[in-house]
Amino acid sequence: MAGLELKQLRKNYGKVEVIKGIDLTIEHGEFVVFVGPSGCGKSTLLRMIAGLEDISGGELRIGDKVVNAVEPRDRGIAMVFQSYALYPHMTVYDNVGFGLKLARTPKEVRDQKIREAARILQMEHLLDRKPSQLSGGQRQRVAIGRAIVRQPEVFLFDEPLSNLDAALRVDMRMEISKLHNDLGATMIYVTHDQVEAMTLADKIVVLDGGVVQQVGAPIELYQRPANLFVAGFIGSPKMNFVSVSADSVSGDIATVSGPDVVGVPVTLPSRKVAPGDKLTLGVRPHDLVVAASGSIVGRVGLVERLGNETIVNLELPSGASWLAVLEGDQALKRGESLALDVDPAKALLFDDAGQAIPR
Amino acid sequence: MSASTMAGSPGQTETRAIKRSPYPGWFFTPAAIVYTVLFLAPTFASLYFSLTRWTLFDATFIGLDNFAQFLREPFLIKGLINTVIYAVVTSGLKVVVGLLLAVMLTSQIVARGYLRSVIFFPVLVSTVGVGITFTVLMHPTQGMINEGLAIFGITGPGWLTDPNLALYSVALVDVWKGVGLATVIYIAGLVAIPRDYYEAARIDGATPWQNFWYVTLPLCRPATSTVITLSFIGGLRTFDLIWAMTKGGPGFASDTIASVIYKQYQAGFYGLSTAGNVVLFILIAVLVVPLTMFLNRKQGHE
Amino acid sequence: MKKRASIIGGAAAIAATFVVFVIPFIFIVLMAFKDRQQSALRDFSWPTGFHLWENVFEVVKTRNWMMITAFINSSIITVVSVTLLVIFAAMVGYVLARRRTRWNGLIEFLILAGLMVPPAVVPTIWLLQGLKLFGTLHGMILVEVAYNLPFSIILYRAFVSTIPRDLDEAAIIDGARPLDVFFRVVLPLLWPVTVTNIVVQSVGIFNDFTNPLYYLPGNANATVQLTLYNFQSQFSTAYNLLFTNILLITIPPLLVFLFFNRQIVAGMTAGAVKG
Repeated sequence: MAGLELKQLRKNYGKVEVIKGIDLTIEHGEFVVFVGPSGCGKSTLLRMIAGLEDISGGELRIGDKVVNAVEPRDRGIAMVFQSYALYPHMTVYDNVGFGLKLARTPKEVRDQKIREAARILQMEHLLDRKPSQLSGGQRQRVAIGRAIVRQPEVFLFDEPLSNLDAALRVDMRMEISKLHNDLGATMIYVTHDQVEAMTLADKIVVLDGGVVQQVGAPIELYQRPANLFVAGFIGSPKMNFVSVSADSVSGDIATVSGPDVVGVPVTLPSRKVAPGDKLTLGVRPHDLVVAASGSIVGRVGLVERLGNETIVNLELPSGASWLAVLEGDQALKRGESLALDVDPAKALLFDDAGQAIPR
Repeated sequence: MSASTMAGSPGQTETRAIKRSPYPGWFFTPAAIVYTVLFLAPTFASLYFSLTRWTLFDATFIGLDNFAQFLREPFLIKGLINTVIYAVVTSGLKVVVGLLLAVMLTSQIVARGYLRSVIFFPVLVSTVGVGITFTVLMHPTQGMINEGLAIFGITGPGWLTDPNLALYSVALVDVWKGVGLATVIYIAGLVAIPRDYYEAARIDGATPWQNFWYVTLPLCRPATSTVITLSFIGGLRTFDLIWAMTKGGPGFASDTIASVIYKQYQAGFYGLSTAGNVVLFILIAVLVVPLTMFLNRKQGHE
Repeated sequence: MKKRASIIGGAAAIAATFVVFVIPFIFIVLMAFKDRQQSALRDFSWPTGFHLWENVFEVVKTRNWMMITAFINSSIITVVSVTLLVIFAAMVGYVLARRRTRWNGLIEFLILAGLMVPPAVVPTIWLLQGLKLFGTLHGMILVEVAYNLPFSIILYRAFVSTIPRDLDEAAIIDGARPLDVFFRVVLPLLWPVTVTNIVVQSVGIFNDFTNPLYYLPGNANATVQLTLYNFQSQFSTAYNLLFTNILLITIPPLLVFLFFNRQIVAGMTAGAVKG
């Protein structure tokens, strides 16, 4: 049984701090995805958990043991690398069995474990090949097989699918998900692809600038992003933003206006704004609907008609550019004026520090 | 949780993990010991001994006298000048001939394998053997070269006996032996040039000559820089070929610093010999460091 | 049209390189086949009789079978120095490529210095005498190792940096200790550059003349290059024997050339493209 606990975990290279004190609890058996733009520290954090990077400060527990100074081999972890990192001079069989050999596992046990892993991953026919004779997907399987035979408490994945083509990526994603169900082990998975994060995770950790921005279930992050960064990062296409100020607050509804929008109602039972507050309004492209009396008016730019939906670039009066994904086919013309509306329950407000205003 | 509240000073809760690096530092040790004892230590010792009159058993400090002697004695100055001439001539010829041969060998010429092997093989042959062979071939009256020239009615010179020519003759043999290396370096550089550039140049209507001048030459500059640096340092340090062919003669006509060092060593002037080493070191530093800086700076511009 | 031009050009190139590069070697071989009288003419003529075996025998037994001793000495020096070079340089090249410390700059500077700075000969002799190694094969071997380390290290370092670091890390996760990472994962992958190192350094050390001249005086520990040099004065009238000697010491590099041409070229051009 191994959960993980990170307490004020820090990493600096000389004066440059890349991980700025991270607190995080991961339950046993959870599938956790670290997601963020490149350079956000997600890979560094994973490598610190693996023991490939020294920990500069704070405490890391795996199970109930502090492992800051424990060698990687004694942490009960296994890791799958982005490049697969298969040993080119060994066969698949030896690649998978290398760790067992180093641990001086008896030959019969080793053989049985390797074959078991190969069976799980359906790669028994590949065991005699060298990595250079394998396709990308097959290499990926071997890399996962190498992790499985170690029977780790915690699996670490460092962008494992980014070298595969799109179709294969979907397949492997499902296999990893299935593997998680079958093995019941804790898995930590790093990616910059938010679709992977949304589909795989029990819990997503959004990182930026070496700091945790938000932790939560995928749908929670989508519906209730904690700040502008998370709101912009999760969801595709990206959320639209515009500067506004609060006009009035009455009942559960706050009304906001700005240079680009006039009188947009937002559901806000908490009433945590006062008239005159400087705010940012966020609306997802999918939440915009065409309405003749709409409060958001702009000029139509590029229109992409996909049949089932229509993606419209909209230029607002201030020059800001918004995206709207409209249902069905809409024959819009470039340059024409378009009025849109948004469901008050789906619009989000952020304060001038970028934090979401709780409903 | 905002970024501003999280950015505390690093290392407040310092729990320095003392994990061993997976790359053991002691891997340096064997090499470091041999290199320090047999290369670095003598090099530093030479700085002192070059300032002494030295019998190996005791050394008398005489300041800069040895260096003064180097700049006073005409035959020592001659050696200094010869060294530079030799290095310039050999590296210059290796660059030009090596590049031409490499261009030829990367073109659609027949028997490329044969040509490449034949040009490269002398690189691997004993320098002493080559020196002796060419001493025989370059004999003014009985050497094959002059006999061959006589067929065409040319009276060949005294390659190694004419004091004005001896150094250049040895340099020529050096080029004969070493041009194969320059050629393969250039070949490696030339095949690394993407074909696209030539195709683009062809669409722009470049002639073969323009191709060479505007595409090949600038793009194989790393190879040029390697060839020049390697053969220039080699030329400055050259000893074995000169010693096998002329022993610095006739007179001191083909002496270089390296042969002077050996002669002074043989004569028991250990301090002077060591000063020669230091002079050679300074010469290399003064000429090669700016040269490589020049070659690399030009590269940075591309 | 183009094809014909290439054939004509090829023929001209073949003829020219034949005269310049091949004839000197044919000359050596012909001389080695001649008897003393004919060889004294030093001309490019067909041998009047087949005297190669006599010549070889005479060269080999001269000065109390000096040639045999010399071949043995040269072989020992070459084999042992190259073995040490490969081991030491692989270790340094590996750690140097992988581990970033503040010493790296200094180490790299010392390596470059080793390629440029001419060895200080007399102080080295003085030092070897102090260590009781002057004039011994041990001393010579250590000197060859010291002088050739920089080049070998550069070859190894360049090659190690092409091996993805992920492999080391995968091995570490798999439970490999530092020596396991080096010997089981990295070293097997270094085989190509090891072959290159062996071949290039063997040829260089076998052909080395200058260093044995300084550090191996006397006859007891002479190398083949030294004996050839000494024979030059001894055989000043017996050109057939002199050239037989040259022929004999050209055979080892020739064999290397025939079998390892590709590795030699790879080693000697390493870094040329990158600059």
